Formats: sequence, structure tokens, C-alpha cells
Amino acid sequence: MNNRHILSAAIGTLLALGLASGNVNAADKKMEMEKCFGIAKAGKNDCSSNKSAHSCAGQATKNNDPMDFVAVPKGTCDKIAGGSLAGSM
Amino acid sequence: MRTLNNVLSDLAHAIVHGHETPPDAQAVYPNYRVTTAMTVYRNNYRGNLHDTLACVYPVTEQLVGKDFFRMMTRQFIGQHFSCSGNLHHYGAEMAAFIAGFTPAQGLAYLPDVVALEWACHCAYFAPDAATLDINKLSRIPPGHYPDLILLIHPACHVVRSRYPITAIWHAHQPNAPGEFHIDLDSGPCIALASRMNDVIHVSELAEADAAWLLSIQAGTPLGTATDATQKQYPDFDLQAALINLASKNVLTDFNLGAAP
Repeated sequence: MNNRHILSAAIGTLLALGLASGNVNAADKKMEMEKCFGIAKAGKNDCSSNKSAHSCAGQATKNNDPMDFVAVPKGTCDKIAGGSLAGSM
Repeated sequence: MRTLNNVLSDLAHAIVHGHETPPDAQAVYPNYRVTTAMTVYRNNYRGNLHDTLACVYPVTEQLVGKDFFRMMTRQFIGQHFSCSGNLHHYGAEMAAFIAGFTPAQGLAYLPDVVALEWACHCAYFAPDAATLDINKLSRIPPGHYPDLILLIHPACHVVRSRYPITAIWHAHQPNAPGEFHIDLDSGPCIALASRMNDVIHVSELAEADAAWLLSIQAGTPLGTATDATQKQYPDFDLQAALINLASKNVLTDFNLGAAP
């Protein structure tokens, strides 16, 4: 049966490549270690940036939110062709 | 007499909505007035949520710029309160919010990029799962392959878009070259977020592979799912799909379902 043949061939290749176990076991160890450092995202777990999750450091008492006139995106979006600021300009 | 719970609730409202500070919470501070103290509270609350959102949505922040992002999150924070003790749960409604956010309407792709970032965030904090045990799989007689129920890693998320969100996401990763050229009209995209070694990977799935994965994820046996996919997509290549998904740690385990 055609379908059976396709399944056998596909899983056969997977087995032959030995894909999963080999390369991921080493990874497991690394993972355990990383998890020990807790819940912060990779690259975000140094004291300074993880304040996002745990800060009790005072923000400025002044309200530093921008005024409402900051109403036009000014990031990398203008580099995306067709991604038009056209609608808002 | 007011309960502590009421006082705290009023205090929270004063912080979040700018209501008047409840009298029970009025204290005398040596160096500043109560209104100043409340402003500090409020700015901490907003500032922390802003920083949380900036952590979850770094690509979005780059796309619109820091000032616009701050303005946008300020509005979001005003409408969506932090309801969990775990800040990692905060920000789920951002994609829907931005879809209806007038100043961002010019960026039609933005809500989908935001959805992809939320998928990556959820993928990062999803539970751990076993990795596919090839030896265990090799003990299954090929006659039972059609009955295999493949289990998908909880970190696996699929996001569909009319726009090239995978390319946009990759162009804004820390190691990406600064210059990029992305054509929004390059056609629809199915993004797959997966996790390996605590690192999130974003890749693109073919329509057929996505259909197959969705079917497998719903618990359909391998034979049935493959049949259905092949009927709809004659070009579907099971072997390539299996290898691709196994290499991305999307397949974690399997069982034989109801088979004998």
C-alpha cells in the first residue's frame, strides 16, 4: 500500500539519520544548567536588564512618557518595502 | 470598618487609574507628599510593565522605534491590567490591541509580527519535554507506523500571516546584519516557533507541512494525517517534513494510540 510505503521510507530515514537522540542529549545538560539561573530569558538575565521583571528600583518620579504627538512610528519599519508609512503620512 | 483588601484595592485603583489616594493609605512622609509617593508608585507600575513588554516584543520595538513603542505600550497598559503574579503572562493581548491602534494602521504587518513574538515568548516559557527517542522508535514494527500518534513539543507554535513575518523577525535579531531588504508583497508566510537548548528558533513552514503538523498536533494518527495531507497537497514530502521537524525538536515522543 502506497501510504504504508511512504511511512516506512520516511521513518526509516529518520532512524537511519539517528536525528533526535544524538545531538539533543548534550543539549539537555546545557539546558539544566541554564534553568538553574531561573526564569529570565537568555540574554536578559543580567541584573540590569532583568529589572523588567523584578524591579523595585524607582522609576523617575516625573512622568517620562512621551506626549501624544509621538504618533508616527520611527523605527526600522521604513526599511520594509511596501510596509508603507504611507497610510499615516 | 474597611477591610485591608478594600484598602489595597482602592490603593491599586489610585495607582493604576490616577484616582484619589484612599484616606487609609495617606501617611505622612518626612520628605515628600503623598501625591509624589503615588506618582512614584504609578511610574514604577507603568515602567515595569513597559519594560516587560519591551522584553517580550523587542522586534516590534525596533520596528516602530522606542518613543512610539513607549507611547503605544502606555495606552496598552492603561487598558490591560496586570492580572497575574507572574509578569511573564502579561502582554498576550498586544497583537489584538495593535490591530485596532490607529497610529499603527500604516504597518499592516505589525499585528502578525507581534503575534509571532508572543508565540516566541510562550515557546520560551513552555514546559520542557522529552526529546524523540530514536531507539524506542526503532522498536516499533513498520506495520504499526500508520497508528503512531506523534506528540508535539509544547513550545511549538505556528503563526500565519499574509506578510513575510519570518524574514522581518530574523532581520531584527541581535546578530542580524543591520541592512535588510524585505518586500512585503513576497507572499504569505507560515512561521514556526520552536525551542532547542533554551533557544527559540523561528523558521518557515510550507503550507503542506503546516497542515500535516496541525493534524498531528490534534492527535490524528500518522497514517490518517499523512493521507489527508497528501490528498490536499500532492507534493507533500513526509520524509522531509519528519526530518525537518525532528531536527527542530518539534517531535518529542509517540504512542500507538488505540492500536493493539
